[in-house]
Amino acid sequence: MKVLDPRLDAHGEALQPARALPSLNGSVIALLDNAKIGTARFYDFVEEILTKEHGVREFIRRRKPDTTRPVPAQMLAEMSGADALISGIGD
Amino acid sequence: MNEAEPLSSAAYEVADDFEANELYQKNGWTDGLPIVAPTESRVRAFVAAASLSPDAVVGVEPVRRRRITAEKIAIAAVMAGCLPEYMPVVVAIVKALCEPQYGLHGSSASTGGSAPFIVVNGPIRNELGMNATHNVFANGSRANAAIGRSIRLFILNVLGGIPGQLDRSTLGHPGKFSFCVAEDEEDSAWTPLSVERGIPPGESAITVMAVESPHQIMNEWTHDPREILDTYAAAVRANMLTYSIWEGNYAIVVPKQHRQIFNAAGWAKQQIREYLYETCRVARREWRTVGKAAVAGRKDEERVYRALRTPDDLLVVAAGGPAGGFGAIVPPWYGQKSLAVTMQI
Repeated sequence: MKVLDPRLDAHGEALQPARALPSLNGSVIALLDNAKIGTARFYDFVEEILTKEHGVREFIRRRKPDTTRPVPAQMLAEMSGADALISGIGD
Repeated sequence: MNEAEPLSSAAYEVADDFEANELYQKNGWTDGLPIVAPTESRVRAFVAAASLSPDAVVGVEPVRRRRITAEKIAIAAVMAGCLPEYMPVVVAIVKALCEPQYGLHGSSASTGGSAPFIVVNGPIRNELGMNATHNVFANGSRANAAIGRSIRLFILNVLGGIPGQLDRSTLGHPGKFSFCVAEDEEDSAWTPLSVERGIPPGESAITVMAVESPHQIMNEWTHDPREILDTYAAAVRANMLTYSIWEGNYAIVVPKQHRQIFNAAGWAKQQIREYLYETCRVARREWRTVGKAAVAGRKDEERVYRALRTPDDLLVVAAGGPAGGFGAIVPPWYGQKSLAVTMQI
């Protein structure tokens, strides 16, 4: 007997990791806060480490209005000038 | 449906139903319970029962943009042990879950571990043999169990709600296996939930709400409707303090013994909603009494939080066995992040 695959995509979703930056020195990094209670403080440390130890020049920080929903398009556009974006998920 | 209409799902050859179950268990495509093998003929019969084509897009999950086809819903329904005639109900539930206000992605992924609470109204309840009375939250009807389970299998396989992957629930709760009830319209003097929420009388409908585990209350010691509701309110306030303080939908499930008290006092659902709107509130400082002093002082501690934005946020459901003063509150997953959706079948 033949039975059917219950998944929407039988082959899964192929994730493509973003290409690494050649260097963080002098770069602009966007930090997208997912609006969880501890994220801002965590990002403070991330910013400090990336500045002192890796020479990141500038940060664009934004906080999503809602933890459970995607980042608004306008907010994403405000971060589009960054060389890389770190997006917070979970707690 | 034309038999020639192609099915898009990959097919696997197995020796028999036992081997089929083993395949699905091994691949993590089930909730751990045995499944009915979704063969082509069974899936076709289920799609036809919904008067849909296999490739019909029933809904699009708003966040990940997954286009949900009738074929995939049918596979989940077959696996769950549904009969073909359950399909219109299952399809309506999936459509409702795809409404943006339901927040399907967030409620499926959250560490809070919510489940869709499904309430069925209208003639289809009796056509499918659904249970609205004894043991209503649990075993007692194939239709209740299988319809609820089909939604879990849909979330698992179609949305990718795999525990430890998209589903980050810390605990989850047993309602995630199946949580589907029928409202007891025959033995209730109240307006059905679906009618209160805009569906014409006599039409079949479903209501879905993302919920945490239900909490059962008991009060058999009074005939005063206010005192009965004070017990429900105490459970709501406890949930606000110990789980989530944020306002949104709550449901209460009211058994016959309590309904008789309300009927004798002339209380309809609206009066219940208004009473609980006023009584279901806590002050921020009360967090200090439940081990949450660390956050109580972050804002004005005299601020009062309500469980409900308006009385209409409360879903009042008539269900449960004919004897016993046991009702339940069914709390929301996370305030307004998900709101209840009602849809005609």
